[in-house]
Amino acid sequence: MLRLTEYEEGVLEGKEGRLKQVSLQNVVRYATILGAEELCEVTKATVFCGAHNYLSVCRSDDIDEVFSRMNLAVDETIPFDRTYDNSYIQSCVCPCDQHEHEPFGQSAEFFAKNAEYLEQARKAGVIIAGTCAPYLTGWLPVRGEHFVTTESSVTLMGNSLWGAMGNSDGIEAAFWSAICGRTPKWGNHVEENRAGTHLVEVQAEVNTVLEWDLLGQAIGMVLPSGAVPVISGRFSLVTFQKLKQFYTTLAVSSNCEMCHIVGVTPDARTVDDAFRGKTPAGTLTIDERAIVESYEASCDQGVGEVDFVSLGCPHYDIDQIKEVAQHLEGKRVHPGVNLMIWTVYPIKAMADVNGYTRIIEEAGGHIYTGSCPSTMGSVFLDSYTGQVFDSVKQAGSVKSGTEGAVYYGDWQSCLDVAVAGKWEEGRRWMRSR
Amino acid sequence: MDAITMRGRGVVAGVVEGEALVCPNSIQGWGGIDPATGVIKEHGHVNRGLSIKGKILVMPGSRGSNGWSCYFGAAGVAGAGPLAMIITRIDSSTGVAAAVLQVPTVVDFKPGEDPCVLIATGDRVHVDGETGVVEVVGMGAFAEPGGAT
Repeated sequence: MLRLTEYEEGVLEGKEGRLKQVSLQNVVRYATILGAEELCEVTKATVFCGAHNYLSVCRSDDIDEVFSRMNLAVDETIPFDRTYDNSYIQSCVCPCDQHEHEPFGQSAEFFAKNAEYLEQARKAGVIIAGTCAPYLTGWLPVRGEHFVTTESSVTLMGNSLWGAMGNSDGIEAAFWSAICGRTPKWGNHVEENRAGTHLVEVQAEVNTVLEWDLLGQAIGMVLPSGAVPVISGRFSLVTFQKLKQFYTTLAVSSNCEMCHIVGVTPDARTVDDAFRGKTPAGTLTIDERAIVESYEASCDQGVGEVDFVSLGCPHYDIDQIKEVAQHLEGKRVHPGVNLMIWTVYPIKAMADVNGYTRIIEEAGGHIYTGSCPSTMGSVFLDSYTGQVFDSVKQAGSVKSGTEGAVYYGDWQSCLDVAVAGKWEEGRRWMRSR
Repeated sequence: MDAITMRGRGVVAGVVEGEALVCPNSIQGWGGIDPATGVIKEHGHVNRGLSIKGKILVMPGSRGSNGWSCYFGAAGVAGAGPLAMIITRIDSSTGVAAAVLQVPTVVDFKPGEDPCVLIATGDRVHVDGETGVVEVVGMGAFAEPGGAT
């Protein structure tokens, strides 16, 4: 039985307006389905704004109508004109670059429609950031803070790395919580649910960003639904760049929302620490073969011409852009290749100030912000026949929507391929490297 | 043949009977299905090319992106959503999908009564979203000849 506070009862009675009322009604329905007993206050949220492709099923140009049907799940049209005052809310990626549409084959009309959605959200109280990596702009929930997010990797990082409390929920529920400030106190919002359930012994060598990316998928492919894994292995020189890649890929290949790494994440100083005295429900082993299979599942066989190379899933930080600039300096991207580096616009401003943008552009590449290839979708991607990514998530998502070749490699190989204009057999990641 | 019966927790009321589509490894969020048609388009998916439209969708839970429920919700708006959902163990993403779709939904089955094991694609299944009782009333009754099941 769900217990509600006086504030929540008042919102349900309509004292705070129809938008908050319907949003909280949805949260209550969601909480009842989950079996939650109470709600908790949400003080960090990312929401999914923009003219996203899936919204087209509504067949309407009225953004209030689309918002109501798709995000509030009601036929009544309720304008999205406010959000919860006590929450830091910023926007996730949208299907357009922050400033340009022509490089992506998008019409001026579509770009304007997307801008209309963003302006609606901005006026309602959403900070327009346009990133899957909200931590790059200071959106960082702290230990015990309740958050909602539309980016699955952020759910995992928030719970596992920062000790904050969040579930995957979904795009609709993130809006409900951002508007009414409540989410079901269930799952990772309840302290005792955050203990490890399964031990994962990593016997493979995992060092580079790419190998952490592969490890995420290797674990995700065998992890039981709903498990909280405790990862144990001989890891050294673990960095945030490696962990954000790992958590991104684990998130996309499973429904995992919390993952301890022994000796790395704060609730897992030891294996016992992570399990909090509970007996593991099972033990999984990730060996060298699992890592190799993870790579083979993400990179097409053979060789071929390449016309599109994209880096930055999740969005690159400024240090990664610096490395790209250093790698490209004095080189020239093949004239038949479109090279894109994806980040958030404040990081692009830093790249401008530091001269990295100039180096990348002189080499023939471009830095774009606010979106990514798979979020833009087939309108953009269908024009390419040979695509290369440095991310399991991006390669896998693109592969589901194209008949063309999709290759996957580390960022240095991706840049070298952009210069060469073709994917050659020697580009494949090999364990012996 | 005795009917196979299993009981979970009914979370969205309603009684329906229809053809099962079993996805033992779930369906990936963000692009796993075409919301306009309900057709599964995930690369390498065991049911790629089949549609969730009008089916009793059987899954262990969600998989992948936080953009999971919205694809099922969009399919619902397009008239291409499932007739009912059967989820072995509820998670937050399937919870939101159930709240949005409002089709009969049963979740949280006992160990040994995993619907992903006891139900096969093409089976005729009776779902009671209030009592949580799920019954296989015809095995393979809907399976297409030489079908992709």
